[in-house]
Amino acid sequence: MNELLGFLAWKVLFLPLLAAAVIAFFLQARPRLAAVVSVMAVVVSFILTVVLYAQYRNYPTVVQVAIPWLSIGNLNIEFGLHADHLSLLMALVVTGVGSLIHIYSIAYMQGDRSYARFFASLSLFTFSMLGIVLSNNFFQMFIFWELVGVSSYLLIGFWYEKPSAADAAKKAFLTNRIGDFGFLLGIIILWATTGSVKFSELHSILAKNPGVLDGVATAVSLLIFCGAVGKSAQFPLHVWLPDAMEGPTPVSALIHAATMVAAGVYMLCRVSFLFDPFSLQIIATTGGFTALLAALIAVQQNDIKRILAYSTLSQLGYMVMAVGLNGPSAAMFHLTTHAFFKAMLFLGAGSVIHALHHEQDIWKMGGLKSKMPITYWTFLLGTLALCGMWPLSGFFSKDAILSQAFDQGNYFLFVIGVLVAFLTTFYMFRLFLVVFLGGAKAHAVDHAHESPRVMSWPLVVLAVASVCGGFIGIEQFVQHQFSPSAEVEPIFDIMGPFAHSPAAAFAGLLVIFFGFSLAIAIYWNATSDPIPEKLPRLSRWLRNKFYFDELYARLIALTQDSLAKVADGCDRFLVQGLMVRGTHGSVEFFGRALRLLQTGNLQTYALLFAAGVAFVICFVLFR
Amino acid sequence: MNPLNLMRLVAPECILVIFALTALFMDVATLREQSAKVRQWVVGSLSGVACLTVMIWIACIRPEGSYSMVELPAVSFLLKEVLLGLTLVTALISFDAKFTRHIGEYYALLLLAAVGLMLLISSNNLLMIFVAVELVSLSLYAMTALDKTSPASAEAALKYFLFGSVAAAFMLFGISLLYGVTGQLQLDAIAGKLQTQHLEPIHYVALVMTLTGFAFKIAAAPFHLWAPDVYQAAPTPIASFIASASKVGSFFVLARIVLAGFGSARGGAGWGHLAAGWVPVLAILATVSMVIGNLVAIVQTRVKRLLAYSAIAHGGYALMALLADEQRAVSSLLFYVITYAITVLGAFGVVAMVEHSGGRDRFSDFAGLSRRAPLLSFCMLVFLLSLAGIPPLSGFFGKFYVFTAAISGPDHLQAFWLLIVGGATSVVSIYYYLQVLKQIYVAPAPANVGSLNISMPAQIGIVALAIAVIVLGFAPGLLLGRLNDGLTLVASNL
Repeated sequence: MNELLGFLAWKVLFLPLLAAAVIAFFLQARPRLAAVVSVMAVVVSFILTVVLYAQYRNYPTVVQVAIPWLSIGNLNIEFGLHADHLSLLMALVVTGVGSLIHIYSIAYMQGDRSYARFFASLSLFTFSMLGIVLSNNFFQMFIFWELVGVSSYLLIGFWYEKPSAADAAKKAFLTNRIGDFGFLLGIIILWATTGSVKFSELHSILAKNPGVLDGVATAVSLLIFCGAVGKSAQFPLHVWLPDAMEGPTPVSALIHAATMVAAGVYMLCRVSFLFDPFSLQIIATTGGFTALLAALIAVQQNDIKRILAYSTLSQLGYMVMAVGLNGPSAAMFHLTTHAFFKAMLFLGAGSVIHALHHEQDIWKMGGLKSKMPITYWTFLLGTLALCGMWPLSGFFSKDAILSQAFDQGNYFLFVIGVLVAFLTTFYMFRLFLVVFLGGAKAHAVDHAHESPRVMSWPLVVLAVASVCGGFIGIEQFVQHQFSPSAEVEPIFDIMGPFAHSPAAAFAGLLVIFFGFSLAIAIYWNATSDPIPEKLPRLSRWLRNKFYFDELYARLIALTQDSLAKVADGCDRFLVQGLMVRGTHGSVEFFGRALRLLQTGNLQTYALLFAAGVAFVICFVLFR
Repeated sequence: MNPLNLMRLVAPECILVIFALTALFMDVATLREQSAKVRQWVVGSLSGVACLTVMIWIACIRPEGSYSMVELPAVSFLLKEVLLGLTLVTALISFDAKFTRHIGEYYALLLLAAVGLMLLISSNNLLMIFVAVELVSLSLYAMTALDKTSPASAEAALKYFLFGSVAAAFMLFGISLLYGVTGQLQLDAIAGKLQTQHLEPIHYVALVMTLTGFAFKIAAAPFHLWAPDVYQAAPTPIASFIASASKVGSFFVLARIVLAGFGSARGGAGWGHLAAGWVPVLAILATVSMVIGNLVAIVQTRVKRLLAYSAIAHGGYALMALLADEQRAVSSLLFYVITYAITVLGAFGVVAMVEHSGGRDRFSDFAGLSRRAPLLSFCMLVFLLSLAGIPPLSGFFGKFYVFTAAISGPDHLQAFWLLIVGGATSVVSIYYYLQVLKQIYVAPAPANVGSLNISMPAQIGIVALAIAVIVLGFAPGLLLGRLNDGLTLVASNL
């Protein structure tokens, strides 16, 4: 049985890769067929994951299949898959939400001249993402981690003719590399101290001998957290995610909302046993700070996709905060529900953008309620779920995080969490009111009509998931992973949160009410944003995202570029200033060569060389 | 002590010399009246056949053992085959080169340089090593100057020659000091003597001076000043040979000298625990190379110059490997250097193809290359991403293995500061590789250029290298396994 399950797991992973390869090599000129192949691969992957999941629910034994990949001295690396509560849940999200988004893309990308390339990249991404999810060791996870970065690079820069898209892709890739650099160093120290990179082995080593990481525990935890900071776009590496919205909207939905950016959170949950209390504190604070920062910035953005991007940042901040508060199951729960409703919101936004011929400014929309009823209703559900309205899924998962903060006695982060919930409701209803209600603010709106059915029914499926996701036992399922012995709470308990953490539940609902009222008061039937006039300075800071991009650009120019120029200048000076510099013909060359020997430049060079040697000798002897 | 034994050991080198002389003679005697193209094909094919013949010879005979100054450890088969393979591809990408009329001389010099490299890894005697280094160097100086129509080429050759002579002088001085204090030239004998002696400053001076000569050969900063100009101005196939094959040989012999000869003068490179010896010297060279190489590469606008600075940086990464204990040091160093050589040879090959089609090596000459030569562009993508260390290509595994090797050595986690430098600079490096890729894939092609015409041998060579880079990334065990097999035999005397 186990072998069969292992075989299925391999298939889940490799079907999308097969699809990507087939499209890349054979179907470049057959776009329709390419789309079919890509969609089939991810749907079959989803079905197989469901089979694995069903089997696992009945006989919950962890499936591990591995082939030795490399073994030299004490460096043993496997290529293996690991199916347990955590990875199955995540694999379901990736393939499930992924399938819907693949289907949606069939219509959304219609007519693009690189239709086949789009689906090949999407399949490649699905493969890499599943690789992260199913990996049984750090080394393999890192490889897929980078592959996800590469496929995200390809998809953000999909319309590379647009300079902004090419720049955004580069920015995302480079920013991620900074995080990955820490991640890799963390993995290497972990290997050097424990001798293993395999999750299950690390777990048992640490359980047997908790002191094995003494002295480096904090360093390891924080370095590994660096990886999550990059991938999940936490402060200070959050700057790439909003720019990544230059990619096609289905990509934003799949990669930059539902799955890839959640990989950081997933990784933290996977190795949550590693972290020491101090680094947990840092993780929680980083998450809380990112949540607040992003929610503030979202309040004054006008691009529909950017508002959603900042909202994603803010929700990722929640999840990271939950991990830091010792609540990985709450984090995974929120990750799952967020994948449902945020994917839906992005697809809804894509539907609007599609209808308005690529208009993204919310102040040029308005009055879409009657023109696009399906989009309208699903978007409303998504907005309510994101705000955390009972009994939609967002309420339960956010409540899990807030009550985690409350129970841990971390009232500071609890207050931040509640404040972020308030801001979330405010900016989401600002978006909703301006886009769907009120009068039409531009001519394009008059010709808008509902998107084709292949785009609207994924929205409906996601809407159902967003409504029900909170009380179908997702949290209970993933809780097994972290506390296998805990008693199983009843599922389908929609009143549960009010019973065991009333403070969090009521605080959450109260701020929704306030946020909603404030949004109605300001934006009901508004044709332009009144805030920049009333609070000009605040608005300017928020619109410019607290000037992080400018600050980083300045910093990079100051350090890296100027250092590079100085180093280059020195090199040129040494080589060209002291040596021959003739490119105007051989006569002059020989003249210079002779002069070189006569004027003593050669001696200067020899002197420099000797000085270098003397420096090294002094260093070795006298340090 | 049968002299025939010596003949058996150096037969591959002898065969190659005979081929080199034949190439020279054939070009002068029989092909004079033929067109340059015919001469290229005949002499080039002869050189290719020479490399293949010797590769097969080595694979079948597997000469092993020692005689006087020649000592062949088991790993030397593999290294020689790699060197010959690299020479073969260099010959392939020179097929439609137009930089010289002296075709016979060019291929003869190429083969002689290969002979020098093979002798370099065959010897355990400092004198012999020095002679081999000079054989390689002289061939390379002459080859750099072969493009007689280009003053830059001659200038670079002169620069290379002058810098090289200074370095050789230092190395020779170091060797003679070493001989003075130990009375020995054989590496194992030197190691034996050093173990019994108390290490005085004179020992360290000798050591540093010897290492300086090799630091020059591998272009480690601050002894790198020749490299950018030589890579830039030398005809591209020659630059690629300097960057690939000559690096492999030099790194191996450097490892052999420090590990087999100076074992007892190791010292330490831990943060705050620097102890006198060759390890801190190499750690400093590695750090300076990684920082200078990667930083200066950022502002380059010529691809060959960029590759030169990246080569300096990669020399730094490779040096980190020597911090490990003996066996891991050699296996991780050789894995890194071999995969690097394969990758960089490929990258230079692509540059050479662009140049043959009338371009130069400015960024703008690569604009829109993906539309003009899709296959070649894809190969370049593989090479550059591998150099940047993106998994699953072999460059990533090489770095990972070197990093883990460096902190598994005697310095343990105290050498972590080097990893931080290495990791941080490799983040920087991705930036400039992406600049080139952006030109290739994003920038529009100039209006008046057609697709590239690439000769079949060059295409085969470059594609084979790209496949090797990918395969070694997915299955590093293929090469590492062989490296380790070779090392188990040599660990006692290396």
